[in-house]
Amino acid sequence: MSSLVFAWRKFLDRNSLLRHYLWKYRKFVVIGLGSLLMVDVLEVLPPFILKKSIDALTEGQPLRRLAQMAFAYFGVSLLQGVGRYGWRMYLIRASMFSGRDIRQRYTEHLFGLSASFFDRRRIGDLMSLATNDVEAVRMAMGAGLLTLADAFFYFLTVPIAMYLLSPKLTLLAFVPLPFIPWFVMRNQQAVHSRFEKVQNFFSKLAAMAQENLNGIRVIKAFAREDAQIRRFRAAGEEFVGLNMHLARVQTAFGPILDFTMSMGLVLLLFIGGRGVIDGAVTLGTFVAFQRYIQKMVWPMTALGMALAMHQRAIASSGRIKEIFSVQSDVPQPKIAQGEFTQTLGGARGKVEFRKLSFSFPGTQEIVLSDVDLTIEPGERVAFVGTIGAGKSALLSLLPRLYPAKRGMLWVDGIDVNDWPIEELRRQVGYVGQEVFLFSETVTENIAFGLHNWMAESGQLAPIEEATRLAAVHEDVLNLVEGYHTRLGERGVNLSGGQKQRVTIARALIKQPAILVLDDALSSVDVQTEEKILKSLRSRVGRNTEIIAAHRISTVRDADRIVVLQEGRVFESGVHAKLMRANGTYRKFYDEQRLKEDLDQFIQKYEEKKQSSGDFA
Amino acid sequence: MNRAEEPSGLEGYLDIEERDARPVHRRTLLYLFRYILRQRKFLFPGIFLILVSTSAVLLEPRLLGFAIDEGMIPKSWYHLKRIATLFFFVECVRVSASIGHAYLFEALGQRVMQDLRMALFTHLQEIPVSVYDRNPVGRLVTRVTNDVSALAEMFSAGFVTILGNLLTVLGILVWLLVLNVKLGLLAASVLPFLILASIYFSAKLRIAYRNARSKLSALNAFLAENILGMRVVHLFNRQGLHLRRFLRVNQWYADAQVSSIRVYAFFQPTITISAGMAVGLIIWFGGRMALSGEIKLGILVAYFSYALSLFQPMRELADKWNIFLSGMASAERVFSILDWKPEFRQGDSQRAAGPIKDLRGHIVFENVWFAYDQEHWILRDVSFEIQPGERVGVVGHTGAGKTTIISLLLRFYEPQKGKIILDGKDLREYDKRALRASLGIIQQDVFLFSGSTWDNVMLWRELSGAAHESIDSLLTSMGLTEQLRDRTRSLQERGSNLSMGERQILAFARASVANPAIWILDEATANVDSQSEVELESALRRISDGKTTILIAHRLATVRSANQILVFHKGALVESGRHVQLMKKGGLYSKLYRYQENLESHFSQTV
Repeated sequence: MSSLVFAWRKFLDRNSLLRHYLWKYRKFVVIGLGSLLMVDVLEVLPPFILKKSIDALTEGQPLRRLAQMAFAYFGVSLLQGVGRYGWRMYLIRASMFSGRDIRQRYTEHLFGLSASFFDRRRIGDLMSLATNDVEAVRMAMGAGLLTLADAFFYFLTVPIAMYLLSPKLTLLAFVPLPFIPWFVMRNQQAVHSRFEKVQNFFSKLAAMAQENLNGIRVIKAFAREDAQIRRFRAAGEEFVGLNMHLARVQTAFGPILDFTMSMGLVLLLFIGGRGVIDGAVTLGTFVAFQRYIQKMVWPMTALGMALAMHQRAIASSGRIKEIFSVQSDVPQPKIAQGEFTQTLGGARGKVEFRKLSFSFPGTQEIVLSDVDLTIEPGERVAFVGTIGAGKSALLSLLPRLYPAKRGMLWVDGIDVNDWPIEELRRQVGYVGQEVFLFSETVTENIAFGLHNWMAESGQLAPIEEATRLAAVHEDVLNLVEGYHTRLGERGVNLSGGQKQRVTIARALIKQPAILVLDDALSSVDVQTEEKILKSLRSRVGRNTEIIAAHRISTVRDADRIVVLQEGRVFESGVHAKLMRANGTYRKFYDEQRLKEDLDQFIQKYEEKKQSSGDFA
Repeated sequence: MNRAEEPSGLEGYLDIEERDARPVHRRTLLYLFRYILRQRKFLFPGIFLILVSTSAVLLEPRLLGFAIDEGMIPKSWYHLKRIATLFFFVECVRVSASIGHAYLFEALGQRVMQDLRMALFTHLQEIPVSVYDRNPVGRLVTRVTNDVSALAEMFSAGFVTILGNLLTVLGILVWLLVLNVKLGLLAASVLPFLILASIYFSAKLRIAYRNARSKLSALNAFLAENILGMRVVHLFNRQGLHLRRFLRVNQWYADAQVSSIRVYAFFQPTITISAGMAVGLIIWFGGRMALSGEIKLGILVAYFSYALSLFQPMRELADKWNIFLSGMASAERVFSILDWKPEFRQGDSQRAAGPIKDLRGHIVFENVWFAYDQEHWILRDVSFEIQPGERVGVVGHTGAGKTTIISLLLRFYEPQKGKIILDGKDLREYDKRALRASLGIIQQDVFLFSGSTWDNVMLWRELSGAAHESIDSLLTSMGLTEQLRDRTRSLQERGSNLSMGERQILAFARASVANPAIWILDEATANVDSQSEVELESALRRISDGKTTILIAHRLATVRSANQILVFHKGALVESGRHVQLMKKGGLYSKLYRYQENLESHFSQTV
């Protein structure tokens, strides 16, 4: 019973999901429980009607009485049918609506969390919360509440009916019954712990299969398939063993419950039958009792089942609420949007880093320190540096993917922390290293930033303008369905360079004041890159451009080049100046030159081969 | 159809293939039947016990009837006592038989599942690597685990219940007719209607379930994609719009769930009401028959019980039928994998493979052409010869086709044109597994299995004690610490705590255990620090001395001392010779070499 108390305490908890949604759908719940109550009260009648019919026969009452009883029986089941329809359509439906609502709240919350949260969590875990855990809570509200209420109503009605018929037989019938909840609880515990073992081993088996298939080339290369099969067989046998261990408690469950009921019947036969012989009990009462005893097994079972379901739901809602308690580390400032737009001056695109230092949220490692830099509107600034120098971190602070400390990063003279996030992100066109396209058409993917584009006519002109700037227009036309080609996981797979250019077009279409390209041209060939960089200079509403790159060709023509090393600004200036300084940039340049040299050699070499027909 | 006209932004997530729509094939049933028949020792006792328990279920109301007719009405305590005692024993038999058949069928299901899992797993070891290129591992794992489990559920829940319920329904029907034809027909009169209703609802339910499932997978696909692309959603301020889309697919799913509930909400009352009607009819007609003495009162009481037990199984049948169908869909998927052609004789993978005897290691490529997809040539007309015992370097840019040469040597793939000759015999004439066992391969990314270092080196090979000793000393000589040589200690998360150098040592050891005739090193020392590299080099020299060795390298310095260097570019062999010759030639190799030299000198300056 302690588990019942625990479940009740959780239910009373201020944040109880269960209580919240029961209250929200109280109308449904009330109608559902009302229907259930009706079904359960009516459930008392059929045995009683049978008793009356038998009594009518044995006592020689008129035939009319029999007809009444036949009709009453049918009538009761008709009403019960209606009631059963009722609780399904209301109680279970309410649970499905609650499941929908919890999923909605969960997703809403996820959409409000920042990049650092998603860096830390595995997608599988987040998905499992949205499906398995929400389902567990939903089950507790639907089937869980139903079985609990059902058991409760049965206890209220059937024993009373039995007592009214014969107090002595009632006591008798209950002799084996109290054994049931004890048995069910014990059994459910055993089932649960053994089931858990089975589940865990199942994951192990799946992991083993996964590992085997991932490493199939190694296994085949060493011709060690036989050992793998031997291991997998052994694991499979162990799994069978665990399943049979579970089956031992699971298969006995139903039959043993049935047997308890049968023992009630045996007792009834001996003692009730004796009563009939002695004339103390009517035959009808005997028949009715037979039915009642059969009926009392269910509520006893239901009690155990409901408890198990609620325990699972408590664990799941705990996990869901843990996510709800996470707050975004890039919160919206308190200033109102309209108010803000008025305070904004004319000049757009000035970026100031003031002694900026940064560590990723929840980590100690200092990624950027003491970065002091002002970028004027209209300037093109390029960042170079080795992997891990802090370029990406620096650039990701601009659209507030990660939080910058107050006073360290200013855009147009306003601390980024004071910008309404939406407005800031409208001004900053950020293209990251990883290209991510959604399962939508090319057009939809590019118009991603134009919210009303679809609703307002959906013209192709701005899209094409953006794809031309990003030099991907021709590529798109060459796709099977052109601009209507579906991309993403299940769609057409573009090449790395094409994807990068589509993401650039996606950023360009919102005409941002500050364009940030974080190594966004790495898979694009040098000529196309040159074309893009050139056309960017002439784009409408062009303003500040901030570019991080590994290639000299990308950064050479920038108005200023900043060399980052270990999170600090090492050198900065125009190309010629840095070359003269003969420092890190110079080395970087030389290395790149050689590489380009080699590339050119190979290109020429290929052309030569091609013309001589060596390549088929 | 309004939905199709108005774009929801979710079209990309809905086009999921609906596998369950396929009809059950006879072939699948036959296959399954074969697996079931192998478990005769569970199958036949199980069926016997089902018959026993069903008979007991049938006997029970009849005994109660006897108790009334022979005991209570004639007021015979003697008879009542005997019948009650008999009832007790029947119940004991019933409960034992029920537990027995449930357990036996569970065991049957588990055994069939294990057999199928092993058949599938073994088969997956035997299909060629090219199949893995086309099929994502995740999907194959699902077949081995989830689909096989769905099959097991079909056995333990679906199959047994369907069989048990059908037997019960049929048994009761026959029994009712035997007891009294007139009353039996009366009780069964609602049954045809109910069967039709069950078929109807079961079909409805299947559609509703399928709909719910496809909406759920759309919901999952949408949510997963948005979690993955959350940054982009944020950067473009799309949270509101995407949330609205989510609400739509979320609502679709809820609607689909509700419509499956609606089917139940209609179906279950249909059974309740039908049962009520049947009992009402029995009360009226049966009561009059009892009055006229046509039947005994106890039989009437028994009929009440029978009528109710007749309808109980109907509730479950519709549901279990769907479990059965989805199990069959899984079976279909499992068997479709078993249809894939293996790359060697079926069952060969279960034997241990030994290397080819007395292999000298003379390799000849003769005008070899190869493409993975019949269209883009990866190797174009490649010819070269490697003498026994030679050290050969293979160099070139990424995508030049270096690694493909190994895949062909291992016969993971077969060349489209030309041939490969090993010791004067076409490669295709060798047994694939023996051939692979004769090659020692070390790759840049060392794939480590979960298990101990020892398991990873031995790959679960069983060896004699003496062999153990020699391998242990080999590992020691390679510089593996005692801690890592511990046979009982499992690697953490597939060796994430091992350094690159340690991982390479394991790879070297793994290859040397097999004592290969030909060594192949694919960028083996690329990620290793210079100290470990020197150690590994010397260890390798010792082990591979006098054996044919192929070194694939990105860094040209690694192959400088090779007997022969093959320079590849875009699938063609463009230059070959010794280092000095190639440098003198001033071609691709020399350019590459100079570039790398410069890069490394710069690298050593900055570090």
